[in-house]
Amino acid sequence: MRAERLRLLAGLALALALVLPLLPLALWSLAHGWRFPDLLPQAWSLRAWGVASSAGVLGSLGLTLGIAAATTALAALVGLPAGRALGLHDFPGKRAVLLLLLVPAVLPGIALVLGLHDLFLRLGLTGSTHGVILAHLVPVLPYMVLVMASVFAGFDTRIEAQARSLGAGPVRCFLQVTLPAVLPGLLTGALFAFLVSWSQYLLTLAIGGGRVQTLPLVLYAYVAAGRNDVAGAIAVLYALPGILLLLGFIGRITGRDLGRVLRP
Amino acid sequence: MRERTRLLLLLGPAVALVGGLVLGALGLALLRSLRLLPLEEPGLSAYASVLASPGVLASLALSFWIATVSTLIAAGLALAAAMLLRQAFPGRRLVAVLVQLNLTIPHVVGAIGILYLISQSGSFARLAHAAGLIAAPGEFPALTHDPWAIGIILTYVWKEVPFITLILLAKLQTLGPDLGPVARSLGATRWQAFRFVLLPQLLPALAAGAALVFAFAFGAYEVPLVLGAHAPEALPLRAWRSFTDVDLAARPEAFAISILIAALGAGLLALHARLILPRRGRDAG
Amino acid sequence: MTLELRNLRKAWPGAGQPTIPGLDLAVAAGSLTVLLGPSGSGKTTVMKLIAGHLAPDSGEVILKGRTLTGLPPERRGVAMVFQDPLLFPHLTLAGNVGFGLKMRGEPAARIEAEVAAMLARVQLAGLGARRPDQLSGGQQQRAALARALVLRPDLLLLDEPLASLDAGLRDEMRALIRGLQRETGVTTLMVTHDQSEAVVMADRIALLLDGQLAQAAAPAEILRRPETEAVARFFGGVNFLDGVVEGAGFRWGPVRLALDRPGPPGPARLTIRPEAVLLHPGPGQLAAKVRGVTLLGTQSRVELALAGEPLTALLQPAAAEALRPGDTVAVTLPPAALWRLPG
Repeated sequence: MRAERLRLLAGLALALALVLPLLPLALWSLAHGWRFPDLLPQAWSLRAWGVASSAGVLGSLGLTLGIAAATTALAALVGLPAGRALGLHDFPGKRAVLLLLLVPAVLPGIALVLGLHDLFLRLGLTGSTHGVILAHLVPVLPYMVLVMASVFAGFDTRIEAQARSLGAGPVRCFLQVTLPAVLPGLLTGALFAFLVSWSQYLLTLAIGGGRVQTLPLVLYAYVAAGRNDVAGAIAVLYALPGILLLLGFIGRITGRDLGRVLRP
Repeated sequence: MRERTRLLLLLGPAVALVGGLVLGALGLALLRSLRLLPLEEPGLSAYASVLASPGVLASLALSFWIATVSTLIAAGLALAAAMLLRQAFPGRRLVAVLVQLNLTIPHVVGAIGILYLISQSGSFARLAHAAGLIAAPGEFPALTHDPWAIGIILTYVWKEVPFITLILLAKLQTLGPDLGPVARSLGATRWQAFRFVLLPQLLPALAAGAALVFAFAFGAYEVPLVLGAHAPEALPLRAWRSFTDVDLAARPEAFAISILIAALGAGLLALHARLILPRRGRDAG
Repeated sequence: MTLELRNLRKAWPGAGQPTIPGLDLAVAAGSLTVLLGPSGSGKTTVMKLIAGHLAPDSGEVILKGRTLTGLPPERRGVAMVFQDPLLFPHLTLAGNVGFGLKMRGEPAARIEAEVAAMLARVQLAGLGARRPDQLSGGQQQRAALARALVLRPDLLLLDEPLASLDAGLRDEMRALIRGLQRETGVTTLMVTHDQSEAVVMADRIALLLDGQLAQAAAPAEILRRPETEAVARFFGGVNFLDGVVEGAGFRWGPVRLALDRPGPPGPARLTIRPEAVLLHPGPGQLAAKVRGVTLLGTQSRVELALAGEPLTALLQPAAAEALRPGDTVAVTLPPAALWRLPG
């Protein structure tokens, strides 16, 4: 019983630590001036949310969503077949492919960004949304491939053989047997792939060259300008989609799924 | 032959995309750091000037400090959190959900939250004032934009403890619930069962996760951008500043820094790959 | 008695019935007792209560006169072998077998000697440097047994130790467990759902049905003198004869049977093991009609109708070969094999 009470206390401390940094953001977003040393704002206002829901910020939200969605869809399209090859087959050079895929995950971000900028400049892809999407594929695609490899490693191809012998053609077999079998893993992978693109900062700044203003760039501009209230509102707006997506998924994500999609 | 063609079709697009972009980027950075592109005076002069610059060396040391301390603290706390969350207590589910939710929050949001919490006019400073400990913001210890990078480290710890915790919980799930009881019924105390059975089996996952955290904390830009001091600044900020300098002569130096960081990353990659990729031979350890 | 369970109770929240509604059981020093029951009867729960991985709602576990209730697993003198070998994958075979001794803080030289001796006993001599994934399934299970036995526990718990093995290895392991148990004299409680395994291995069988102790007795006793129909059925009993005891005989429809132990007169139910039913080619005590013959492998099952009542016999296949449905055969029900179910 004493041990259980200790665990309860530790659990409470952990929960509090996880929530604590988010509280000032929410408070600031509703504050009408909040001077030192007031513990809570003396007056409340929706002014910051007015800025956060202006056409400029909402456009930026839409742009960020669009880039993340497009990156995720492309990564799923290219990553699913590659994951199948890696998860189900052994072949010479497999280790080299896996190593290549680990590079963007393990290499510190700044190591690739400068070279990528130079490469994209030569390809004429800087300053454009599709350039940013292509750049986001660098961290997102390997991630998706590795997730799908792990999903396919647990996939029993005999159910495909069974479906084919029952008269399903290759397309129907894929759509009605293979896809449903790997769908939970694919969705979990896609959710976290979306979040990887969603939270990119420097890559967007470098490739977009200031012309692709995603939400984190707008957010930092308000922080730098000292507009704590607007920054709070945009920070909440920026964190919300991920939280809602995960909450929508939460019953369906198993520990094992989570184990293979994790990246910092 | 047919099977080979099939594999090539499945893998080709992904490998070409990632390989082209990653190797292209690294190759260009290497050429430019050696002043081979555009061809000026090829050589290691950019590296020499980078390694002789006290500013760059201070940035390098700072980033090492940030990454090392963040990783050690996050790994230790995550181990404790994972051991906590595998046991039953009231509210365990809620805490587990919060741990997962933290994964979705972008680093820059965490950094701003920490800023508003612990800066000299932040919530903690206000609490200290209410408790009569300080009279003015300047009396509160500088935890942000400070030489020890405390705010940056706190942000990484806040973000990466849940990350490593979930890695460990996934590993614990594959180990099954019985190894602890087996050890206990062979006479191991609760601590011995942890120390001699669970911990050795968690270590590879812990180290693999820690390598990712170290790489991230070493190379991320937006957290030191929000919370870092002006001098010395973290290495990613320094590299980006050289890169965007109006004086184009600074560019090779920026590329040299990025190649040096990539070399460090290659070491981390070797460690991480050893821990997570299936090995062909068997190791003796 | 070495081990005594006194009114041990364990209920789970949510479940309607307590998994263990109150169990009393005694295990004699140096014996191998088998806790037998169908899956879901609460056997593993009992093991975990004894080993200390679960706490009982009430009741006591007493080992060598010491109450174990409340003690942590490592201070009970109880070593448990789980259904799967569960060797520690990061340790060598020798490291696994020496684990418990190391936890006790024994000197390294002594651990090494004890481990070597134990490995030889379970036919794993010379393999001490191997890692668990380099051992076969049978070797892993022997290693798990060695890892527990080397501690010389006051009580050895074996939770379905043969369940994870192939049929061929099972016989070998069965003989090894029985041999080692006799040799070391360690008091052993083993759990299984396989009644033939229990009959072969046990000094005493404790049959658990629905969390209740249905009967505890030596194998021959429990087979021939089951205390309830459920016990008889669990061991493959199929012949149940309802009739009336009159004097030293039993009236079963039109048939009269002689009994060795008739008990008080009145309505009664008898049982006889199918292998105790004797068939003769010529005229005998009773005439029965053959209704069907099924070859089961090493035995044949013969379905009979005796004065209209069903009766099943198990014979050597050769003895049943000539029988055809519709044949009339002579049947003997030996008085010593007829058992009157109590109550």
